[in-house]
Amino acid sequence: MTELDTRPPRAVDVPALVKPDRVHGSVYTSQEIYDLEMTRIFREGWVFVAHESEVPEPGDYITRRIGGEPWIVARGRDGVVRVLANRCTHRGNRLCNADAGNSSSFRCPYHGWTFSNDGTLTGVPMRNGYGEQFDAVLNGLGLKPAAAVDSYRGFVFACLSTPPKTLLEHLGRATTAMDRLLALSPTGELDLRAGWMKHDMPCNWKMVMENNVDGYHALFTHASVYDAVKPAKVSHIPSKVEVWVRDLGDGHSEIDYSPEYTRLDEEFVWFGRIRREKLPRYVAAMEEAYGPEDTHRAFVVGPPHTLIFPNLFLAEMNIMMVEPMGPGRSIAYTTPALIPGADELNEKMLRRAEGAMGPAGFLIADDGEIGARNQLGLAGPAPEWVVLSRGTESDLNDATGIVNHDKSAETPQRGWWRHWASVLAGQASAGSDSDDKGAVHA
Amino acid sequence: MPDLASAATNAPVTGDVPASGVDPALAGFIYLEARLADEARYSEWEALWDDDALYWVPMGPGHDPRVNLSYIYDNRRRIRSRIAQLNSGNRHSQTPPSVIRRVISNLEVVARDVDTTTIASNFALFEYRFDLIVWAGRYAHRIRTRGGDLKLVSKTVHLVNAGGPVSTMSFLI
Repeated sequence: MTELDTRPPRAVDVPALVKPDRVHGSVYTSQEIYDLEMTRIFREGWVFVAHESEVPEPGDYITRRIGGEPWIVARGRDGVVRVLANRCTHRGNRLCNADAGNSSSFRCPYHGWTFSNDGTLTGVPMRNGYGEQFDAVLNGLGLKPAAAVDSYRGFVFACLSTPPKTLLEHLGRATTAMDRLLALSPTGELDLRAGWMKHDMPCNWKMVMENNVDGYHALFTHASVYDAVKPAKVSHIPSKVEVWVRDLGDGHSEIDYSPEYTRLDEEFVWFGRIRREKLPRYVAAMEEAYGPEDTHRAFVVGPPHTLIFPNLFLAEMNIMMVEPMGPGRSIAYTTPALIPGADELNEKMLRRAEGAMGPAGFLIADDGEIGARNQLGLAGPAPEWVVLSRGTESDLNDATGIVNHDKSAETPQRGWWRHWASVLAGQASAGSDSDDKGAVHA
Repeated sequence: MPDLASAATNAPVTGDVPASGVDPALAGFIYLEARLADEARYSEWEALWDDDALYWVPMGPGHDPRVNLSYIYDNRRRIRSRIAQLNSGNRHSQTPPSVIRRVISNLEVVARDVDTTTIASNFALFEYRFDLIVWAGRYAHRIRTRGGDLKLVSKTVHLVNAGGPVSTMSFLI
């Protein structure tokens, strides 16, 4: 799609762009804002890069882009997962050109420089050309590592420059969502190796992220599914369900189906209401690992529907990560969160992922279309603001964040934008959130 | 299930099939299927399918749908759902339908058994929606002959850009 932002460039005045109940339309279209996001969010903050199951063995590697930059995620002989700049330190050639593989070293095809998968420069052909400086060249030109790499229960995050806070501080309350997903795995592990759908969407990356926790759109955007194919798992009419939305702080947010599922006290409402008799080995492994009570509870409350700032979405039994490609283009990567050993479940999970997600999915194809039309609409400069005031008067503060018992409230979006503004303004320093929470509710 | 991936990519001719011998009626069936898809004639397109249908768009060559995610892996029931959604008028990503024309060539018979024939072909598809998008790849159509009637048993679509990224693909590819 053609980029339609024809407004003149302007300096980014972040506080002027985000109000508690609305954001300026240019946050989706401006190149200047996009450039600032790449710096503040993707180069200076924590971002999701990979899952440990994608590089299970020493030598395994995958390649990823973070904020437009090429990176390698590689597991070394020592078992450590490293995030290394995918760029030869000699003349800048992209070093590793496969999506995934296994290799103890990477050799640049341009002049034959060779790097170990821990980043060490191990081979420089025709070394005499460097004379006395050779050792200095060898020692000083290893692959550039990400400034910080850390993981939470298999989810690997990186920060490309000195992190302003620890990963746990960045994740804040969002760890509860990862715990909720892992509570469905008898081994406490996931397997993200079914392959990523890469869905090219002509819209801003934030539109993709925000929409994932929009509890208001389903009846309209996805009417074709519920009317023509099958009814929703539980009603999307807010007054009929105990489905809550929650701003978890730190930019993280969710749609929480667990109150409704708990009220129903019915297992697997979130998985086509499959009966546990159809999954005997999985149920046995779960009860062995967690006991019957916790297993029942996990099967009832189901997986998270949680956005983790800035680029990760725990899409119930799928994982989505979103890569910005410019103000008007994004790639959404989606793969099912397979459960090691749960074969009875995993093949069904593949089919469910194909049904709902990705470029031909019954749901996401239409979300992509709505995103594209949003981008086209926002090319018009008036009215200046996008309104996010739904549910402002019914937001409740509690220990879990800011909760709204109306699933159509725009509480998650308000949380996203409040945090976005604090990060872009360079205020996302040490300490966990709640900091930026006060700004709105003081 | 026949190994359609290798049939589509390696084109091994099995049985006593002359390499160039594509029955004009089978070729005509493939062109009809393409035209109905191009023209968003959804219900007519659905009627081409047999009960044991498989409409498959893998994410790479040699993939195993039991362990690899696909873009589309529709059995007959899901094809029915897909068409019901397209016919609803609210499938926003195809409302209005994309303007599409596709060209199919290089037809070869790659497998044949008692009542089915598998024909591989190349295609180029031009989709106009917000912009012109070009799709290309290799098809494998498995067609059943029953009496004088032809039914589509499976259609596999190996996109040249299966590795992605790919644009929204909610039209019939």
